[in-house]
Amino acid sequence: MNAKQHKFPILNKWISIIKDIISIFSNEFKIVFKDRGVVIVFIVASLVYPMLYCGLYKNETLVNVPIAAVDYSRSKYSEELLRHLDASPDVKVSKFSSFDEAKKAFDERKVHGLFFIPADFSKKLNTGEQTTVSVYCDMSSFLYYRSLTLASSYSVLDMGNKIQVDRLNMQGITGQNATITASPIPFESNILFNEGMGFASFLMPAILMLIIHQTLFFGIGMLAGTSREENRFHQLVSSKLHRGGTLRVVLGKAACYMLMYLVFSFYILEVTPHVFNLPHIGNPVDLLNFIIPFLLATIFFSMTVSVFLPNRETGMIIFLFFSLILLFLCGISWPQSNINSFWKAFAWIFPATHGIQGYIKINSMGADIHHITYEYGSLWILSVLYFITACWAYYWQIKKPLSQIQD
Amino acid sequence: MLNDIFIAISNTLSREFRRMVSRPIYFIGTVLVMGFCYVFFLTFFNEGQPNKMPIGIVDLDNSSLSRQFVRNLDATQQAKVVMRVGSHREAREEMQRGNIYAFVEIQHGFATKAISSKRPPITFYLNDSYLVAGSLLLKDISYISALSSGAMQRQILRAKGVEENRIMGIIQPITTDTHLIGNPWANYGIYLLNILLPGVLQLSILMMTIFVIGIEFKERTSHEWLENANNSIFAAITGKLVPYTVLFTLLGIIGNILLYSYMHYPMNTSIWWMFLTTFMYVLAYQAVGVLLIGITPVLRDGVTLVAFYGLLGFTFAGFTFPIEQLPYSAQIFSYIFPIRHYFNIYVNEALHGISIQYSVISFIALLSFNILPLFVYHRLKNAAIKQNYPIK
Repeated sequence: MNAKQHKFPILNKWISIIKDIISIFSNEFKIVFKDRGVVIVFIVASLVYPMLYCGLYKNETLVNVPIAAVDYSRSKYSEELLRHLDASPDVKVSKFSSFDEAKKAFDERKVHGLFFIPADFSKKLNTGEQTTVSVYCDMSSFLYYRSLTLASSYSVLDMGNKIQVDRLNMQGITGQNATITASPIPFESNILFNEGMGFASFLMPAILMLIIHQTLFFGIGMLAGTSREENRFHQLVSSKLHRGGTLRVVLGKAACYMLMYLVFSFYILEVTPHVFNLPHIGNPVDLLNFIIPFLLATIFFSMTVSVFLPNRETGMIIFLFFSLILLFLCGISWPQSNINSFWKAFAWIFPATHGIQGYIKINSMGADIHHITYEYGSLWILSVLYFITACWAYYWQIKKPLSQIQD
Repeated sequence: MLNDIFIAISNTLSREFRRMVSRPIYFIGTVLVMGFCYVFFLTFFNEGQPNKMPIGIVDLDNSSLSRQFVRNLDATQQAKVVMRVGSHREAREEMQRGNIYAFVEIQHGFATKAISSKRPPITFYLNDSYLVAGSLLLKDISYISALSSGAMQRQILRAKGVEENRIMGIIQPITTDTHLIGNPWANYGIYLLNILLPGVLQLSILMMTIFVIGIEFKERTSHEWLENANNSIFAAITGKLVPYTVLFTLLGIIGNILLYSYMHYPMNTSIWWMFLTTFMYVLAYQAVGVLLIGITPVLRDGVTLVAFYGLLGFTFAGFTFPIEQLPYSAQIFSYIFPIRHYFNIYVNEALHGISIQYSVISFIALLSFNILPLFVYHRLKNAAIKQNYPIK
């Protein structure tokens, strides 16, 4: 042994560094599993939240939204139109004899929309004039609005096309000619990703990434807050470690969180979408490649902030609301292209922004890693940046009590 | 007797005021959090609707007809043509990169075919992974398609000698007149913020209620707290929470004023009803907070519990995904969230502007949350006296 030490002093130093890191790493595991609060945040929340939210949003789209129909025309045409409307999976039509009655049902929120056919509806159709139906939408949820407008425009268009052909025939335009005149340029719209226009397929991927980001953030915050309460930051660095100590502490702890969250990420990002039938067209290798800088950036970011939390609960009390802010900042709901430059710059500093965008692009849109170089690169930059700040913050925090002791 | 309680409450009050200025968390967790959220959300959604979202064009025809169509598309409110690419594959990749939310494909020979009545198609591709962008673009694109198609039909019909007054009846026999009740502009901010901001408020109320009571257990100061309140847990809790009732009601009302007066969001009733609702909402959430810290008088568990409950409130308010469309077994839980009742009152009064009698049941529901602290009355008192719970 001694001879070896003389021969390879550098190797020896490295062995001692790695030994330190491993001891901090395994010690951190013990701390995590001994602390019930941290176990709840890291493990229980990571396991339960994906299932809970996927379960709640398992109905992807609204079906049979109750709407009121008021038919003052009471004709063959108006009945056919209402039958058509009712046949759509989006809405369920109940007929009301007067507008006031329908309005009352709307006020009682028994129906979420009104479909009104005027008395001269059929007369105008018979005389070749243009006629108008009215739709009233409940705007308390955008999904009501979408269901009702989808269903009504589809059935109105469909019936309109038939009448159009009849009218063209009356003008002496028949057969192929009528088809061409009725739609000289056929428009086709295809939905490339999230074909079912599902709500869960849209929201859940973002929520899943946010769960990883936030449980890491709150868990690490809780651990650091506890360390500070018990003033044992300094104990993490044994006396034989000098300048390199901080680096070893940061790396050892980060390795512990990283290892845990690689496993959780597999469950949250790969297993959950399969089980709940969310989009999962991504290449798992690309996803793994992407998730590494995401976890690193999130861990070092959380470690940096955590040092400033004086107590174990502080993080959650102050920052719980931030989960919501992050969900909007990432730009899946309000599109990224329309976020003003100040908030866009603000959003850039959070790993969640790039993590969510990148995950959606890989997992929901089948992008390769080279399509998301912006997110991927940003996460690596953030990883390096937050690694440096984490070391800094830890150094400062470790140093403080040590100097107090020396005083 | 009544006088004793009054003195006990006022003693607790002055003790709490001292505590409130002793640590920054009291200010950060209330005023700063809400202030930040007001600034954030009001500046984030100030556009109302996302306009001029980027779309791409694959124009393989490049005729005057196809260019005209692209110009029309570019002139719509929601779409902005930001790139022209040479192939479907390229456009799809741009979509995967997130640079465009939709693209339009016009085939070779489009103009020639259109003129010779061969019905050349125009194809749109949308990305509904971004549901809002996808839905809004679909609306605009469908509109512009119908318009272009109509213009072409008009030309054909005129050429065929159809009388002018018959043409509209043929192009579009049935039109739809759409009324969006309470939010005629389909403003995204109106739909979201009226509930999101009270949603953040409830997180803050729950957290602070748990914190101000839980910290007494954690720091083993509960004896002093109780003695100072003449050993009445009622006085101890009331005196402790009243400052926050006032503070949160004030913050909530500032929110109401920002939304309904400053932003001019729809308010189809007297704003005082929303002020009253906000006050009752604050009380209801404080009551829930007392119940939860009573169930587990350990600060760290209380905080975790409250985080779980508070975040679920956003789902169970029912403003994103309507409650009656959730799985049946989940629907029932919406009643235990005051935010659900707040939402009902807001929809009835502010948005729909209907008679207050429709909301009476929701007001009663909000009020009834105030019974909850009674269930943990003894538990809290015992915990304060015995201090028999772990502190971490």
